[in-house]
Amino acid sequence: MNLKSGLMKILKTGPCTSVQDLGRSNLSHWGIPISGVADQKSAGWVNHLLQNRKESAVLEISQPGLSLSFSDPTIICIAGASALVKLNGKETHPSGLIYPESGDVLDIGPFYTGARVYLGIKGGFQSEERLSSKSWYQGITSLEYAKKGTELPYFAVPSPFFPFYAKAKWNTSWFEKTELEVFPGPDWDLLSKQEKNLILTHRFTVSSLANRMAVQLQDLVPNSLPELPTNPVYPGTIQLTSGGKLLLLMKDAQVTGGYPRILQIEEESQWILAQKKPGDQLEFSLKRP
Amino acid sequence: MNLVYQKLSPQIGEIAWNEPISDGLLQQQLLVQKELLSELKTDIMETRIGFTRLSIIWKKQPTVAFMENWLRAVDLSKSKITRSDIVWQVPVCYDQVLAKDLIELASAKNISIDQLIELHSSITYRIHFFGFLPGFMYLNGLPEKLHTPRKVIPVRSIPAGSVAIGNFQTGIYPAESPGGWHVIGRSPISFFDGSAFPPVWAKPGESLEFLPISVREYESLCRFPRKPSRK
Repeated sequence: MNLKSGLMKILKTGPCTSVQDLGRSNLSHWGIPISGVADQKSAGWVNHLLQNRKESAVLEISQPGLSLSFSDPTIICIAGASALVKLNGKETHPSGLIYPESGDVLDIGPFYTGARVYLGIKGGFQSEERLSSKSWYQGITSLEYAKKGTELPYFAVPSPFFPFYAKAKWNTSWFEKTELEVFPGPDWDLLSKQEKNLILTHRFTVSSLANRMAVQLQDLVPNSLPELPTNPVYPGTIQLTSGGKLLLLMKDAQVTGGYPRILQIEEESQWILAQKKPGDQLEFSLKRP
Repeated sequence: MNLVYQKLSPQIGEIAWNEPISDGLLQQQLLVQKELLSELKTDIMETRIGFTRLSIIWKKQPTVAFMENWLRAVDLSKSKITRSDIVWQVPVCYDQVLAKDLIELASAKNISIDQLIELHSSITYRIHFFGFLPGFMYLNGLPEKLHTPRKVIPVRSIPAGSVAIGNFQTGIYPAESPGGWHVIGRSPISFFDGSAFPPVWAKPGESLEFLPISVREYESLCRFPRKPSRK
């Protein structure tokens, strides 16, 4: 089959819009982070509806104010945070499949709930692949974040005579809960009973320092943990600094870290965390792995 | 030797050594890693090494009891014979123009700049693992005289190639990055190339020395980059 290539052009974007797939596994021994979509459930949903492979690259959007155009017809799907979506200036229902034509402009406006919108495209974005992944990361791919003028290739799909408007409704209630499931980390038992108790009963607030590397919480946990040697950390690892800051590591986190590793967030709870924005509340519920 | 295994999540587990950082400990980690990847390969996604831990992301995680029995059966004495004798020579220009914190650090240590350079470049450092940034090597062996607490407020941008000291460690920033370490020199060579495979030239377990070079040599190596030579 002769596939025609289309280009999606970014006309306007806020900070931190990036192409992500499931990331790079088995390269951490060179210091390379896993990367990949922060909320795997939402990204998985768009790829599923598009009948893409689950590792297909999608666009991860963390700020309202994105505008983009399509050079050729295709099929797209949007999930994750709920937001105002417009096709050629007209509000469109973002659930299900959208069929942009050549020259169409799509806008993603204010977010109603959640922190990250995922935009999937039929066949996945065909952008540059580095070290077996298309996930953007500084120093590995040529781009870290999308800018005005960035062009992303995709396979054009002729407009169907009878477009199928999947009625599947995207539900956001799963990430609106405040409770994250956590497992004891390697250094959990170095904490005192009072310190543990504070962490497991307090309702924490997400600070404005939240990005693809880590989410920092506003509330401090004063502690007397010792200095520890640098050891492996993962997306979902919660580190506690000597200054009492809690750092919840995300997909672009470094592969090793020196701060005590007190908790590990369960996988689906990491996706919930990916949808939390500054000011949102969180609490931890301890489980055994 | 009793190694402890802890399940960190349904996918992740970690083997703990409760002893100080050393060459011997690293050799044991590398041996256990090799045995894991040969015997339990099909169940493992990846392994990671830190100074005192070895962690595993599993496709299928065994029980803690299985791992403890498995670890007991590994013959750690074999580690004596597998030490690498590769020593990389990393050219470093210790000129104040490229080393913002050199003068301040020497005066804080009450030594001359030449003594500081001599102390730093006379040691063979062991490469334990890569972390922090792609291509950043965690090195062990910094002389105690040069141990220096990290800066309280990290610097916004440290140039790629910067050779720096933080706590009991020295390291090279492979890419421009914010950082809290004290910069004492700069290397003109590349430490990470995302378009190459492998993207780095060294391996954990190998060693590294810093070779002082002049500004003129630094500039010429910047123009004609090459890999570091082996001793």
